[in-house]
Amino acid sequence: MAGVDVLIAEDSRIQAKILQKRLTDAGHTVRWAENGADALELARERRPEIIISDIEMPVMTGYEFCKAVKTDPALRTVPLILMSTLSDPIDIIRGLDAGADNYVTKPYDPDYLLGRMRSLLATPLGDPAEEATLEVAVAGQKFRVQAGRQQVLNLLVSTFENAVAKNQELIAANEDLSLARDKLQQTNVELSALNERISTINARMIRDLEAAAKVQQSLLPPDDAALPAATVAWRYVPCQDLAGDFLNFFPLDAEHAGLFVVDVSGHGVPSSLMAVTVGRFLSPKVTDQSLLVRQRPDGGVAVATPAEVATQLNRLFQADEFSGLYFTILYGVLHIPTGRLDYISAGHPALLLLSGDKPPAYHGAEGFPIGFVPDIDYAQASLQLTPGDRIYLYSDGVTEAMDKDQNPLGEQALADCLAATRSQPLPDTVAGLLETVVQWCQPNGPLDDVSILGLEWRP
Amino acid sequence: MDAYRRIQTGKTGDVHMVVFKDKKILDDTVLDEIKKEIAAYLGKSSGPDVLLDFANVEFMSSAMLGLLGTLHRKIAAGHGRLKMCGIRPEIFQVFKLTSLDKLFSIHKDAPAALATFT
Repeated sequence: MAGVDVLIAEDSRIQAKILQKRLTDAGHTVRWAENGADALELARERRPEIIISDIEMPVMTGYEFCKAVKTDPALRTVPLILMSTLSDPIDIIRGLDAGADNYVTKPYDPDYLLGRMRSLLATPLGDPAEEATLEVAVAGQKFRVQAGRQQVLNLLVSTFENAVAKNQELIAANEDLSLARDKLQQTNVELSALNERISTINARMIRDLEAAAKVQQSLLPPDDAALPAATVAWRYVPCQDLAGDFLNFFPLDAEHAGLFVVDVSGHGVPSSLMAVTVGRFLSPKVTDQSLLVRQRPDGGVAVATPAEVATQLNRLFQADEFSGLYFTILYGVLHIPTGRLDYISAGHPALLLLSGDKPPAYHGAEGFPIGFVPDIDYAQASLQLTPGDRIYLYSDGVTEAMDKDQNPLGEQALADCLAATRSQPLPDTVAGLLETVVQWCQPNGPLDDVSILGLEWRP
Repeated sequence: MDAYRRIQTGKTGDVHMVVFKDKKILDDTVLDEIKKEIAAYLGKSSGPDVLLDFANVEFMSSAMLGLLGTLHRKIAAGHGRLKMCGIRPEIFQVFKLTSLDKLFSIHKDAPAALATFT
């Protein structure tokens, strides 16, 4: 197509410039007016070979402009393309009535517009004499339009082509959708595979936790644990699957029994790992590791004093910088024939003594938690039991148990509880104390591990 | 905007002040963040004097003591001094129960504590 003289009527400066550039690039001469009235003036000044007009414009709309061109004897055979959004079938009738030769729907593809121009210029418009009055019904409304056959044909073809173009866009959109759907399905498959992996990992972690909980159980007294000349009862309630607390009691030799409550700071896996490690050093069996008993050269067993045990533990378990874990322990050695109890406390709550009819009394020993200060000696304290006396060791999960308003149960309540059950059998008093703690923590339950170990000396 | 979420920091003379923002230091996650933030703050200075202000803290788990112990050793190793202040009675109980009130240098409030760093 050789360069032709094009007239554009378009109120949007930007759209006009874009179109102008495309047409100029294609070798056409372009004039531009921003409304129908100005465009009509330009057309009368010099007859263009083709007109492209927007519809919505101020002063004179595209329809009015089109009608003016088509009723002007000098201009009526100039092909005119209306650019419409074609959102309503009535638009087609209006275009026909105005005498438009072609439609291009906005937004348009410039190449498509150039193609349209080419075909319009190739088909000269018919003789105006052919023009007839046509009657059409659209949406229940009758329209009478004046139009030539060639014009109707052109418009029909352009409308059809527009429909085809729209259809192609739809098909493309559909293809995109179907691609997106395939991708989604693929993602779904990957997601379920991932879910399955998470389930597997989860199941393994649960198994590991259960196994770890079993290892931890081994730190506690076996069901048949007993001491000569003493009744012992204990309760232990971890607040999670894995705890930092543990307790135990056992004979160390023919005359001595060891008992302790340990509380590793924190909860969960790190604390429980540390508890298990500490537990191996607190064994009543003569092993390389046990700090409680040693083989004597003569083959007998030497029982370490609580102070020696604490000092050794502190030497072994200096808190490392990363975990910041430490533990408290109350460790006692009872001389079974005499009822003398030697004990240490490394930052652990004091033990409670119920002796005869006397009110309960706390007995503590001063000492930093294990792992806090390197190379220190622990001061050992002693207590003389009389027959029938009871002592209770416990973790701070008892005294520091919080009610819903964050009030701790406290030492007084602990003493009151055990004084009130003084006449009951020892196991009942321990169970009763646990019940008191659990009740105190309603409705949330204890947030810390709870350990209680009671002993009654009956020589 | 504060540089840290859990602690407020500032220097008075040569003393690094760390004020805990939380009312409750109970959760392991909170504890972990505090640990990291203090490390980040003190990381640049060697052997500093440090004052920890607990004035905002109403509840504290005993696991926090582990962190204080670590900090104590680290600062002492660098020949700095660690002091604490603003500890309310309920929390002091946690220190007393573990005998750590005897290990740490504990003062009533920030001015009283600062006066001892001379």
